[in-house]
Amino acid sequence: MNVYTPILILGILAFGFAAFSVLTASLTGPKRYNRAKVDAYECGIDPTPQPEGGGRFPVKYYLTAMLFIVFDIEIVFLYPWAVAFDRLAFFGFCEMVVFIITVLVVYAYVWRRRGLEWD
Amino acid sequence: MNAAVQAGNVGETLVFWICAFFSVLGALGLIVSRKAVHSALWMALVMINLAILFVANSAPFLGMAQIVVYTGAVMMLFLFVLMMVGVDSSDSLIETIKGQRVAGILLGIGMGLLLVFGLGSALTNSTSVGLDAANGVDKGNVQGIAHLIFTDYLIPFEVTSALLITAALGAMVLAHRERWIPRLTQMQLSRARFAGSGHPGNLPNPGIYARHNAVDTPALLPDGSTTDLSIPGPLVARGGIRPVDHAEVDEVAAITDGGQS
Amino acid sequence: MNPIMASAPALFTIRSVDYRAISPVLIILAVALVSVFVEAFVGRSARRPVQLVLVFGAFLATFIDLITLHATRLVTAAGSVAVDGPALVMQGAIILLAALAAMLMAERMVDPSGDPFAARASSLPGSVDEAEFSARGYFQTEVWPLLLFSVAGMMLFVSANDLLLMFVALEVMSLPIYLMAGMARRRRLLSQEASLKYFLLGAFASAFFLYGMALTFGFAGSVNLGSIADAVSAKPSQSGLLLLAVAMLSIGLLFKVAAVPFHQWTPDAYQGAPTAVTALMATTVKIAAFGALMRVLYVAFGGIRWDWTPMLWIVAILTMVVGSVIAVTQSDIKRMLAYSSVAQAGFILVGVIAVSGKGLASVLFYVIAYGFATIGAFAVVSVVRDASGEATHLSKWAGLGKKSPVTGAVLSLLMLSFAGIPLTSGFIGKFAVFSAAIANGATWLVIVAVIASVVSAFFYARVIVLMFFSEPTEATASVVVPSAFTTIVIAAGATVTVVVGIAPQPLLDLVNNAGLFLR
Repeated sequence: MNVYTPILILGILAFGFAAFSVLTASLTGPKRYNRAKVDAYECGIDPTPQPEGGGRFPVKYYLTAMLFIVFDIEIVFLYPWAVAFDRLAFFGFCEMVVFIITVLVVYAYVWRRRGLEWD
Repeated sequence: MNAAVQAGNVGETLVFWICAFFSVLGALGLIVSRKAVHSALWMALVMINLAILFVANSAPFLGMAQIVVYTGAVMMLFLFVLMMVGVDSSDSLIETIKGQRVAGILLGIGMGLLLVFGLGSALTNSTSVGLDAANGVDKGNVQGIAHLIFTDYLIPFEVTSALLITAALGAMVLAHRERWIPRLTQMQLSRARFAGSGHPGNLPNPGIYARHNAVDTPALLPDGSTTDLSIPGPLVARGGIRPVDHAEVDEVAAITDGGQS
Repeated sequence: MNPIMASAPALFTIRSVDYRAISPVLIILAVALVSVFVEAFVGRSARRPVQLVLVFGAFLATFIDLITLHATRLVTAAGSVAVDGPALVMQGAIILLAALAAMLMAERMVDPSGDPFAARASSLPGSVDEAEFSARGYFQTEVWPLLLFSVAGMMLFVSANDLLLMFVALEVMSLPIYLMAGMARRRRLLSQEASLKYFLLGAFASAFFLYGMALTFGFAGSVNLGSIADAVSAKPSQSGLLLLAVAMLSIGLLFKVAAVPFHQWTPDAYQGAPTAVTALMATTVKIAAFGALMRVLYVAFGGIRWDWTPMLWIVAILTMVVGSVIAVTQSDIKRMLAYSSVAQAGFILVGVIAVSGKGLASVLFYVIAYGFATIGAFAVVSVVRDASGEATHLSKWAGLGKKSPVTGAVLSLLMLSFAGIPLTSGFIGKFAVFSAAIANGATWLVIVAVIASVVSAFFYARVIVLMFFSEPTEATASVVVPSAFTTIVIAAGATVTVVVGIAPQPLLDLVNNAGLFLR
């Protein structure tokens, strides 16, 4: 059998379980709706009105996401290096250290300029 | 692995058809969704299914990169950008250029047909080559990638770090709001609180009433009067204060006073 | 299912890299890293002087390094980097012009508020933030590491002998410029629009390049230019895929040189970007892009030149004609210079089409001469100002030559050089390019080019006439006395234009001795 068959079976099981749960709940559960039930629950006060256009996120999120991507891509390069580490020997180690140090420089910049602080 | 692929066994065919179904479904959902956030989520579905296909086609590195970088990071960035622009700002459906939509649909279908039939006819009778060369030589796909990165493509690899640095610098330059006043420390804040003429202690808790018990009602002070100080600023700003029925409060006061007032 | 365990690990064979030959790029990259480090750890007030020392020190060191390397002709790092004559000449020109552009970026005398860059690019235009930052005299020093990274990318771009490295270098070159284009201190919304347009269209062009790369890999099984050339000559029959690949790669590169129909970003980006950055875009990026374009077309696809030259003919003719004709209607000097740079790209393409050593040398000569004239012209634009900042509208230039004869004369000289009038470097450049094209049989193309140059001479002459043959009015801008930085740039632009125009032989020798691309 193919090595990926267990994964496939797992996937089918997971999907089946999720579908089964949702379906069962919706079929067997009582359905008595009133206005209060479909209201958003906000500690007893009137739900916060939706701002126009659905509201906008502060640009800080972008900064965080972008920095995440930068270091994420660094990790993608670490993956093959780590897998083939024994065959790259000292040379590969040096090259990876150079790569990490260069990216670390910008990490220092972000840290010193308070790019990592939320406020 | 290779032998299994060439045998074209049932498991792989099954994986292909399931993933193909969901990625086409996701792609269609991406196009027909009116809300940008929904499109983004459909796109994540496409990407995950493509990642599974990559893994199933003996390209685990590509599959991992697809999930870690594209689904995990780039899609999240997409979502953040959409939310910065405004989640609900669905695209205007008015055509600015006349006949744009028809032309777009025709061109899209044409391109699709071209790709399906062009690639299809080019690939049906061709044998796939190079898989053994790519995965076999170094006994593994990821090892093969490592081999290439650290030998033939060493310079591009190292220069990529310059790209990453530029990206981080650019994000900081464009999006980081530096403070122009230093941030107040906790000590400075507490000093300021006591130095001012305001109320240095905790503000009163919200009032607890028989019919309503939430932050939007004014606090009930020990002397029986009410104060709006307990209501959070944002609620005050949007006019969300629930007025207290003063007749009831007075009645309560009257009862506690023993009917002396 | 665990093949690694099956055999003892055999070490990968390490490919040798000639670090001496690629040291110019390494110097710039290393200093760029130090520069980021300075941004992180040096106090606000000391940053600018430290950065200036670093940047100009790096340019000086790299230029000296290039001179010591001038006889180097080799391909290193597993065939991905070619250190050959054309690459070294272009790298030298890029360093010189980038140093001049850096001087424009460092200029602080012409704008009353100081730096030519925004106090904080992240503050909203017109916001309290912006006012506070400006009032406190803040300015951004991040432009210096960005400039260095961009220059490193350009230098690598012209010597990349491998499509993958070329792509990475293209991005390293472009990303900082997209950023810097959006950082103008004045007319910030225009600047941000310029940045966004340049970025979006640039990303699109990169995608074309990448797709072309993938198709090329599909055809040749390699991204190395030499191996692609071998594959091209080995199986020329499979030309459908290959032609598509050449077209896609060319689109990506023609976008960078601002050739029609891939020029749409040029006027907006040139107009909105800070003038110093525009100068960088118009000179160094153009050199780098032509270098890469020629390397790809000559080295990898020289074997099928008869297939792609017709396509390039059309692009060249369109570029010359559209650039020249639309430039005539412009009323803003930066937009006019943008369309002029489009037209000039067309003239340079005429030299590229002459697929020969002579064509290569003539293109090298042209881009260098054009680069110096352009940087001088943008330096002049940056000092002609009124109360609202740079006075770029042409109506404000009326009578400027009578008000400030020296500035008027310098700009006229540069305009004459753009028009290709004898005794200027532009004339020699056009002559070299056209004669190379004729030698290769592209006579009709040269006839079109000559007609286009006549049209272009009209709008260059119009600026001169406006400056010297109309009376100054109330609206006429005045020339601000700049610091030594801008003065050096204007002087260098004018001097090179005249000296190369009168005595072109040294530069001609340089480009002729550069030889051909290695592979």
